[in-house]
Amino acid sequence: MEYLIQNGELSIMQKLEILTDAAKYDVACTSSGVERKGDGKHMGNCTKAGICHSFSSDGRCISLLKILMTNECIFDCKYCLNRKSNDVPRATFTPEEICTLTMEFYRRNYIEGLFLSSGIIQDPTFTMELLYRTIWLLRNQYHFNGYVHVKAIPGADPELVERMGYLADRMSVNLELPTAEGLRTLAPNKHRKNILTPMRQIQNGIHANKEELILYRKSPVFVSGGQSTQMIIGATPETDYQILNVAENLYQKFELKRVFYSAFVKVNEDKSLPALPGGPPLLREHRLYQADWLLRFYGFKAEELLDEKRPFFNVMLDPKEDWAVRHLECFPVEINRAPYADLLRVPGIGVKSARRILSARRSTKLTFQDLKKLGVVMKRAVYFITCGGRMMYPTKLEEDYIVRNLTDPKERIRFGSDGMSYRQMTLFDDGMFPNGVRQEEVLPAAVGEL
Amino acid sequence: MKIYHCEDSLEGIFTAIYNTYEDHSPARDTMVTTIEENLLFSESVEVVPDPEKTVKVIRTLKRRFGEEDYESLCLALSSPKPEKAQAVYRTIAKGLSEKCPPGHLLDAMADTYVNQTFSLARGAGNEYHHLKGFTRFEELENTILYSKIAPKNNILTFLMVHFADRFPMEDFLVFDAGRYLFGIHPAGKPWYTLQGKDAWERVQSETEKLSTAELHYRELFRSFCHTIAIKERENRDLQRNMLPLRFQEYMVEFR
Repeated sequence: MEYLIQNGELSIMQKLEILTDAAKYDVACTSSGVERKGDGKHMGNCTKAGICHSFSSDGRCISLLKILMTNECIFDCKYCLNRKSNDVPRATFTPEEICTLTMEFYRRNYIEGLFLSSGIIQDPTFTMELLYRTIWLLRNQYHFNGYVHVKAIPGADPELVERMGYLADRMSVNLELPTAEGLRTLAPNKHRKNILTPMRQIQNGIHANKEELILYRKSPVFVSGGQSTQMIIGATPETDYQILNVAENLYQKFELKRVFYSAFVKVNEDKSLPALPGGPPLLREHRLYQADWLLRFYGFKAEELLDEKRPFFNVMLDPKEDWAVRHLECFPVEINRAPYADLLRVPGIGVKSARRILSARRSTKLTFQDLKKLGVVMKRAVYFITCGGRMMYPTKLEEDYIVRNLTDPKERIRFGSDGMSYRQMTLFDDGMFPNGVRQEEVLPAAVGEL
Repeated sequence: MKIYHCEDSLEGIFTAIYNTYEDHSPARDTMVTTIEENLLFSESVEVVPDPEKTVKVIRTLKRRFGEEDYESLCLALSSPKPEKAQAVYRTIAKGLSEKCPPGHLLDAMADTYVNQTFSLARGAGNEYHHLKGFTRFEELENTILYSKIAPKNNILTFLMVHFADRFPMEDFLVFDAGRYLFGIHPAGKPWYTLQGKDAWERVQSETEKLSTAELHYRELFRSFCHTIAIKERENRDLQRNMLPLRFQEYMVEFR
């Protein structure tokens, strides 16, 4: 633990600052997907659901110690803070420094594990070797049994990727940009094929390992938490439809656990990057995540949500509401009889509440009051469901009417940049007296009796 | 109406439930409570906690409803709300009389008592899950890891199970400040709990002496939390939604 700069070396504090700052644009910070009990001797265990340890001021969860090994880089990707043409302070951790930091943070329950990525130093294979050495030390010398997420560096020796897979819980290769064309313009040193090769390798590795585990229960586990990737949204002119199709393909053909979307934050001035005067496209990112959930848990397909003619998501309605108002022929759904798949399509009913409906209606006939208790969001669901053949209120099953009600301005204030307001309440604010003054109240108010 | 008054503990409530069955009291006309409750024309019964009866109840619950539902019942009973005893009693009575299969005790959520039990268990479960992440340990001079928490629900025992699995070779101490309850884990040995204000008074001064490395790592983590945030995405509302202020009080990065 040295704070002072000695012999021109950076202190741990400075290194941590530089390398955290360089890693923060990576989105993935989940610690989920692995259930591993402690071994009774060494530190660490993992829980299936993952654990969030803190939340930073942008509201994102801090679960892993997310750092780069080094922010030196031989590549010159236009969107990246660490590109070689940028004049930023550079630093490199030694494997021992990373291990000590991880262990000491983990002991104090600050973090759930380590997320290690890196700039490309010398060449991809050399970089991967450095990462491998660090994780090997962490697992075998420091006996860390917690969660480890490592980046596979595209273009590195496949042998190293394979070995890393047996040490890490999750691996990821960043797709960076949704299309090969975007990649060519913004990341001239990266190639689509190079990115997909390790992704395929990891997928095959997981498959082979599953069969091995059937034969030999004690054999080492390969990337037990699955692999993930991320795409930058809004740096290149792709449509939401294209992005969603790419994500669907990744889920189906590469069996990814997660695809992350990262709203583009402009850190470099470059003529090929968009201007984004309104800040990062956060609402667009949010809609993509909503759609992503619909793909993974609700049985939707990309072409159901968007198509060539309407390639962007509705700004006012979430993708599920949007789908529902365009398919009113599927509604209303009868809560006491509809199959699980139909319940899932109702806005306001999620995976959990749909399951609860299924188990609760076995013993009783459900009413609207019960639905509230089961966690159904009634203000959204009410237009699309019946209980015992009746709707809750006399509502029209009509597109304009439902859209008008769903997009009530009171519900729409959620996307302020900060949301904090310091406006003081005023005594003479019209909005505070929704009912107005009644005739019989005028006189007592004037003489001060009210 | 028969009202069973018992002490506010797992043992107290389970003994009361055992007694209701021993007395053949019909569930509809019976109440189990941990607070002073006097209804007109009701008969009051005092319950003395009995370890033997408690064990019998636990065995039955596990056998009939399964490990998972038993845990839900325990979580519900860790709640500070006074209605928990009655809710859990009626849920168990309903489950036993209707021969509910294991794992399905809390399915009938349209039922008022089942629903209450479910929400209590969910509330406590959520807080337990939060605290698995939000608990912060600090290293004291004598290398013991010490943590102070103040949860609404009495979930210290659940947390101890989690941390004992995670840090088997560490001496650590978790202190529930609201209940003066200690969870103590000596390295490599089973953990236990201890309750008492006097115990706190004895160790209070010890918990203020930090090891030298502690301040360094604290500073490092603070700097990490600060740097990892993306300025362009700042959203304090979201942060507070995900991490309520009552937890922040005990976390180093917010102090």
